[in-house]
Amino acid sequence: MNKTQTNSIGFSLSSDRVSVIILLIPALIFCTIFIFIPAFWAIVGSFYSYGMTSLNDWKWVGFDNYIKASQDEFFWIALKNNFIIVFASIVLQVGVGTILAAILDRGIKYGKVIFRTIIFTPMVISSVAVSIIWLLIYDPNFGILNNILIAIGLPTPSMGWLGDPDISIWMIMIVAGWQNTGFMMVLILAGLQGVSKEVYDAAEIDGATGVKAFWYITLPMIRNIIIVAILITTIGAFKVFEFVYVLTQGGPSNATQVLGTYIYLQAFNLLHMGYANALSVVLLVIALILGWFQLKASRRA
Amino acid sequence: MKYYFSRIWAGILITLLSFSFTSSSYAIDIKLWDLSARQGQDEFYELLKKEVKKYNPDINVIVTEWEGEAYKTQIQLALNGDDGPDVFFNWFGEDSARLARAGLALDLTPYADMEGGYGNFISKGWQDAGAVDGKIYGIANKAVSKYFYYDPAFFDQHNLSVPTTFGELIDTCKSIKAIDPSIVPWPMGNSERWKLNHVITMLNQRVVGAENTKADYALTAPDDELFTNPKYVEAWEKVVELNENCFNDAPNATNPELTRSMFAAQISPMMYCGTWCGGIFASEGFTDFKMFRFPRVEGGADDGTVGFLVAEGMQVSAKTKHPEAAALVASINVSDTMALADAELRGSLISNATLIDQLEDAPHWFTFYVNDIADKSGHVNVLDVLLEANVSNAYLDMGTEVLNGTKSPQEAMDFIRKVALEAKAAM
Repeated sequence: MNKTQTNSIGFSLSSDRVSVIILLIPALIFCTIFIFIPAFWAIVGSFYSYGMTSLNDWKWVGFDNYIKASQDEFFWIALKNNFIIVFASIVLQVGVGTILAAILDRGIKYGKVIFRTIIFTPMVISSVAVSIIWLLIYDPNFGILNNILIAIGLPTPSMGWLGDPDISIWMIMIVAGWQNTGFMMVLILAGLQGVSKEVYDAAEIDGATGVKAFWYITLPMIRNIIIVAILITTIGAFKVFEFVYVLTQGGPSNATQVLGTYIYLQAFNLLHMGYANALSVVLLVIALILGWFQLKASRRA
Repeated sequence: MKYYFSRIWAGILITLLSFSFTSSSYAIDIKLWDLSARQGQDEFYELLKKEVKKYNPDINVIVTEWEGEAYKTQIQLALNGDDGPDVFFNWFGEDSARLARAGLALDLTPYADMEGGYGNFISKGWQDAGAVDGKIYGIANKAVSKYFYYDPAFFDQHNLSVPTTFGELIDTCKSIKAIDPSIVPWPMGNSERWKLNHVITMLNQRVVGAENTKADYALTAPDDELFTNPKYVEAWEKVVELNENCFNDAPNATNPELTRSMFAAQISPMMYCGTWCGGIFASEGFTDFKMFRFPRVEGGADDGTVGFLVAEGMQVSAKTKHPEAAALVASINVSDTMALADAELRGSLISNATLIDQLEDAPHWFTFYVNDIADKSGHVNVLDVLLEANVSNAYLDMGTEVLNGTKSPQEAMDFIRKVALEAKAAM
């Protein structure tokens, strides 16, 4: 019920609205301190030139930082890598996650909980720890991957898995996929379990079983869940930092640079805070657009 | 009765208040930030706290330790904030000078000769290591250098001799590979980029020479001359030669700590490592190693007597509320007692060698470092500390490219020159 009250200075407010405002205040305070104010200063700072050690010496440069970004080959490499990660993450994490979820939902009769736990386990390990584990696996001198390949007579990359600019970004993708596929699997599995068994029974009568049922029944029924999974993966791929920083630090020769690591490099190593702000604003705009899509898709889901 | 009770309570309150005022009004907390060390750091700082109290019993030194990579970022953030350290570790060179120029580091010149001041403990030469434009912005307590470490048992067994020229070094690598192709003569772990940077630092010194690099490194050379000396390309060509003959496969994917373990485990008979490595090898169980200098390059500008040396020490934040107390703590850090403790406990190459004769049971590598550094004709600072940040980053990137063969030595220098011109224009 929507009660209306009049306060002492004559404004009329519904009590529901007052409750909503009161409940929102703590979140708004935190969002203002940790998101809105830093974002505002990042936008302001992107029009200035200053360094970490000259924070009181801001020089107005207008749109120079944005023009510089448009001409900076490493910025484009970083952006391209983010898109590669987006694409590969969708295939690896959502694609494989969907297949695994389908297998767990209908493909096997026993051991579902054990398999689900094993596949989900990497998700609860910190990204940094996961990266360090994979650093050891990829090591060109003593790593288990090279040893296995050598043992079965296959060649190993001469520059190393993480030292070869042509393959290093894909090696990072595998690590990210290994950690996050389990989460996607659980998300999609929840959607699958919401699909009525009667639909499959009806489809079976019409001759749709196995892959055919998955393609024509399962996928359309969980379409919205998959869209949410894709958006979560896409936003995560644009925010990626830890895997790249620990595994390659953006190298070799900037080949695995992503926006997150490139912003860090510009801000804290090269001390171009203004330029780093401009790059952050670009990332912010991309994240906002993707966030808007995610919200829309979530509501539909 | 009530009157007596109230008097007693009043007395207790006054006593408590006076105690609290006595302790809080004079206590000076000095926050000190340092890099974490493998050995002896806790004992070292316990002693420092006691030594500082001898000069001023009200000073409490609060020590925080950081890992190297995290520290580089953290210190810059902290110095810009209001809750940063009073005294902090830094590498002397561009890193420390930048803080001085930005007004974030305190001018310590007025505190040199106070009671307990650093002027009483370290020489003018060492004081100058922390100087910017004639003023002292840092107090050097130690330096690090780099040497070739080798396994004398392996060398003796295979009749190998210590190389004195670059050509002999390459021949030694070839001989080691001829003994067993699976042995890596000199393991190179450049996954963090700085390892090769130290090698190119020395190759530039040996091939191009200090006189010829000075204006380029400082970005004061005219535009049409900046980094155009063909000897720079020659130095990179030596890296290619090393990569072909000495290094392991995939150096850009190899962790530097792993290469240290390869030498300590006697899997590889030789490596180029810092003066911090002797203690690490010993802690991993290998003490029978020996050292030699980075060899001279035939036809190069340097006779091989100039060595790698990076001074390190403490700076004081310009924002400290207790400049004199902070300067005192940084100064006591290099006192005779603390310097001896630094050598004994942390194995540091100390700036104050007054009591060095009292050092008991110094390991053989420590004695070698001290004698060799004293014997060198000059010192060169490492490029990633010495150069302007963008040029330094270009040198780090080109190290990776040259090792991968994705850029030729000439292309690497063209890129470095381009970045140097941009950096000079922005200054």
